[in-house]
Amino acid sequence: MIVTTDDPNKPEDYDHDEPQNWRPGACPFCYGNESSTPSEIIAIRNNGTAANTPGWQVRVVPNKFPALQIEGDLERRPLGMYDMTSGIGAHEIVIESPYHHKDLSDLLDSEVANILHMYFQRALDLEKDRRFKYVMIFKNNGHGAGASLEHPHTQIIALPMVPKIVKEEIRGAKNYFEYRERCIFCDIIRQEVEDKERIVMENRNFMAFCPFVSRFPFEIWIMPKKHASYFCQTPVEQIPDLAVMLKGIIARVKKVFGNTAYNFIIHTSPINSDGQAMDSYHWHLEFMPKLTRVAGFEWGTGFYLVPTPPELAAKFLREA
Amino acid sequence: MPELRRDPIVGRWVIIATERARRPDQFINQVVESGAEKPCPFCEGMESHTPQEIYAVRPRNSAPNGPGWDLRVVPSLAPFLRIEGDLDRRGNGLYDMMNGVGAHEIVIESNKHVANMADLAEEQIAKVIGCYIRRILDLERDERFKYVLVFKNYGWVAGGGRVKHSRSQLIATPVNPKRVKEELIGARHYYDSHERCIFCDLIHQEIEMKERVIVEIDGFIAIVPFAARFPFEIWILPKKHSSDFVQLSDAQKAAMARILKVVLSKLKIGLNDPPYNYIIHTAPFRRQKAGYWRTIEDDYHWHMEITPRLTRVAGFEWGTGFYICPVTPEAAAKFLREVTVV
Repeated sequence: MIVTTDDPNKPEDYDHDEPQNWRPGACPFCYGNESSTPSEIIAIRNNGTAANTPGWQVRVVPNKFPALQIEGDLERRPLGMYDMTSGIGAHEIVIESPYHHKDLSDLLDSEVANILHMYFQRALDLEKDRRFKYVMIFKNNGHGAGASLEHPHTQIIALPMVPKIVKEEIRGAKNYFEYRERCIFCDIIRQEVEDKERIVMENRNFMAFCPFVSRFPFEIWIMPKKHASYFCQTPVEQIPDLAVMLKGIIARVKKVFGNTAYNFIIHTSPINSDGQAMDSYHWHLEFMPKLTRVAGFEWGTGFYLVPTPPELAAKFLREA
Repeated sequence: MPELRRDPIVGRWVIIATERARRPDQFINQVVESGAEKPCPFCEGMESHTPQEIYAVRPRNSAPNGPGWDLRVVPSLAPFLRIEGDLDRRGNGLYDMMNGVGAHEIVIESNKHVANMADLAEEQIAKVIGCYIRRILDLERDERFKYVLVFKNYGWVAGGGRVKHSRSQLIATPVNPKRVKEELIGARHYYDSHERCIFCDLIHQEIEMKERVIVEIDGFIAIVPFAARFPFEIWILPKKHSSDFVQLSDAQKAAMARILKVVLSKLKIGLNDPPYNYIIHTAPFRRQKAGYWRTIEDDYHWHMEITPRLTRVAGFEWGTGFYICPVTPEAAAKFLREVTVV
């Protein structure tokens, strides 16, 4: 990471205007258009309403254009020197609310909590399939962040292998643990609490901060304060706190930047493995506003250039 | 059925979408770059608008920082890293840091206001390649540096800024970048067990299978890699083994310029002038010290990676290193093979 310290960028220095050229036509995620998505997998809906009709609050459907396919055998095979595998997996969409123009930050705390419940429920269900090794929960909000539909939604992908960066993160955390017998993320939380300057929000069970090693300006991580390796096992009584925090950071980012595109992704332990990451790995949510364009340098090196130091970013967000 | 493909060098998995695959022509660039262009500091006659030149190809009788040049290298106006100072590695609690020492230079590829390298003459591109080599060799003399990254950002989306004057960048770094290291380690592992260069093997297989080859010219080959991360990702490799870009002969520089111009022109014509990045992947400086690895010249193979920016990279791709490529490499290669370049 390279952090600019001499003349750091302030929020107004970012050229992040979000073009709103969404495809015209009826939104498949709005009330009344339930038939334009594949049949729902699960929904939280009003008593007495039928599946695939209006009356729902949160709705989960298979992706109409899935990146991976649920049916079939996991067949690994070589092609000369290359390795390939059949694209077995699941790809689901969580339609967060019936409201086309309300993002997470505009919903009630209880509505956000319901969405989180839905993440847990789906992830736990997908975990039962032994072919899957990892469940990835992420959100692309806005064109610039890769979303193809405006209606707020989250995606869940179950994969037959653990993604490379997650694997590296787990390995790094494990090395640290073997040496010190402490979780590196717990140590990070301790240090952040002590340094204070990178903290954005804190409540009883969670902390949001701009990480020391931010890859993107105004990057934010949400972490449970108490060691927990597994996102889906978040205790029920902590969910309201998490909902408040997720809502809170999105609201703060939007206050600083207006309606900027963003991504978030939940980093959690792999599933159907030997559970070795339990002590050393700590789940967290990584939130990245899309403010800059990643260019050749970042691609080629894995170095990131951060034009606003995380301490300054945290200050702007705290004061928003 | 979609496919998951694994990059044989760094082990990264890519989902090659087949169900949702789009036809290659559906990727044709739709974005027309708008916005008033700033006055160009890189044109001939504007030399005072850049920092003092580091190097230039110019006639003997022309003065530095004046007009008359053919190609010019200047320090970046907004450097990522600075040349002065010590590295001073230090800790802050459990965090590590060091000073941002390095060099950041801009290669102005032409004195004319041409936007895309594809539109430069072959001879001019050969000069640009020669200039990269000269600068790398000069930066190598600075003992603080371990690597020089040569890259290009073309177009706003690719990080090329608003000024449309063809240029590339060099950054000398005090540590070996993570992505470079991964590739070097991957290549060494393969060499350890096979005693062959993985890239040489890859070239053989691609020539045999044909379907991912775009073009072969004078000892160079352009392919769409088996596990491409992005639609129309392209690698250009020298067919003859060579670990280090700076070892190119004059004839090879000319051949590299030829294939690069053909490939960039195919992108421009076939996909309507899309933004792109390219990066030269080459061996780091080989400084003899503890842990130096002696097979690097046998196990690593320099190449150029070109990535058109036709789709948005979503956050999860950054967050996981897992990519979804919405067009098959074979279809992309076929499309590019069939684009005629005059």
